[in-house]
Amino acid sequence: MEEKRHTSLHYEKELQAIKDGIIYLGALTETAIRKAMKSLSDRDTELARSVIRDDDEIDRLDTDLEERCIKILALRQPTAIDLRFITTAIKITGHLERIGDMAVNIAEKAMQLNEEPQLKPYIDLPRMADLVGGMIKDSLDSFVKSDLDQAEKVRRVEQVIDDLNEQIFRELLTFMMEDSKNIHRALLVMQVSKNMERIADHAKGIADMVTYMVTGECVRHRTCNMLE
Amino acid sequence: MESNAIISINRVNFYYGAVRALTDISMKFRKNKVTALIGPSGCGKSTLLRLLNRMNDLIDGTRVEGEILFEGQNIYAPDVDPVEIRRKIGMVFQKPNPFPKTIYNNIAYGPKLTGVNAGDLDALVEQSLKQAVLWDEVKDIMSKSAMNLSGGQQQRLCIARALAMKPDILLMDEPTSALDPISTAKIEELIEELKKDYTIIIVTHNMQQAARISDETAFFYIGNLIEYNKTEKIFTKPEVKQTEDYITGRFG
Ligand SMILES: Nc1ncnc2c1ncn2[C@@H]1O[C@H](COP(=O)(O)OP(=O)(O)OP(=O)(O)O)[C@@H](O)[C@H]1O
Ligand SMILES: [Mg+2]
Repeated sequence: MEEKRHTSLHYEKELQAIKDGIIYLGALTETAIRKAMKSLSDRDTELARSVIRDDDEIDRLDTDLEERCIKILALRQPTAIDLRFITTAIKITGHLERIGDMAVNIAEKAMQLNEEPQLKPYIDLPRMADLVGGMIKDSLDSFVKSDLDQAEKVRRVEQVIDDLNEQIFRELLTFMMEDSKNIHRALLVMQVSKNMERIADHAKGIADMVTYMVTGECVRHRTCNMLE
Repeated sequence: MESNAIISINRVNFYYGAVRALTDISMKFRKNKVTALIGPSGCGKSTLLRLLNRMNDLIDGTRVEGEILFEGQNIYAPDVDPVEIRRKIGMVFQKPNPFPKTIYNNIAYGPKLTGVNAGDLDALVEQSLKQAVLWDEVKDIMSKSAMNLSGGQQQRLCIARALAMKPDILLMDEPTSALDPISTAKIEELIEELKKDYTIIIVTHNMQQAARISDETAFFYIGNLIEYNKTEKIFTKPEVKQTEDYITGRFG
């Protein structure tokens, strides 16, 4: 997609529109995560409801992008970088749709938690939310710029999220052991943390696809070798 | 890509008069594989194909440097008979070019000249037409003129005619560019079948066709071999930017 352009300007525009659509979809999921987290820390159930409502738009865009990618596969029969771009785009939109679902999960847990007194102040969760939001942004940036370093950065942050998630688990376990009345709320908070961790997995999935798109090599699983 | 080479081209330059059409080409073609030659118009694909069975000899003022080994023997060595080379390395052209003769005689003509005896001719004609998947369509009209066949049938007839000479290699220069999708699919299917017994080298401008039918693909640009690799590799992750720009339809 760099320097040289396709002879067919229509084709060029179709590919650009896919890129733009993915960036827009990515922005919607980032917003969803941010709002879901805010609905928890500010105990704002109305905000949580809006996250659930807005997910319909994410689903609709996902379907629309996927259809457009399939149409390009069928009508343009892309090869080489164009083929890797389209297959990557299809995967990315799937990841983003799942991220939207996780934001909905978090919003649902927030609504339940908002019904009860707050278990503890949230410190690590907002940090996680910021980090995974940044991962999505970076992974999509790396897609647009074909930037391998940025994709690698996303994979590094994923490690940090894993550690944070474990730390939160341990902390919540102590709350549960202290007082069995804490168990229900602690489990809900655990699920929020778990959802953040899964969002990070999806962002890493996007970064891995970008690496495939740029290098032709599959880094998702060590044993997998798409082109050899 | 080293193993099983049936043809090895070593440092070949080719000239039409003073104009160099191929520059320092070295490559091997593997036995029982389909190799596609791709590249923009005028890059030298047909020239290379014609070099492989000495068809360029027929053009005045041409000159070859380097060597082309066919099963280890330099086909441009002085003692080599070009007619014998053309029998072993057959060619099918872009436009179907049947002789203005009966269907039967189109196939039988060449073998007769090379001394196949009359008793074996019928069997050879039938076998060649069956190999080219044309037999069922023509078996009842063998004495009709080949000129009345459809374009797709004529092209398969030309393939049958080439096969009747029992070649080792089949060179095809854009064999389906004048055909409708069904005839094209039949020829492609035929190529799949033929590669069990023959080595096929095909020039095509249809990228999807090259991707579908070939095992290896060579990309040429202004007389130079730019990239030569497994077809799957060329069409998913070519190594050279020029190849990628060409197959994805980007202009320079
Ligand atoms: N008989 C000839 N006399 C002089 N020059 C020729 C002759 N045939 C081909 N050429 C030149 O040699 C170069 C390569 O031609 P060639 O026909 O091999 O290209 P090609 O790759 O087969 O192109 P196309 O895809 O259009 O068939 C071109 O510059 C062409 O003009
Ligand atoms: Mg040609």
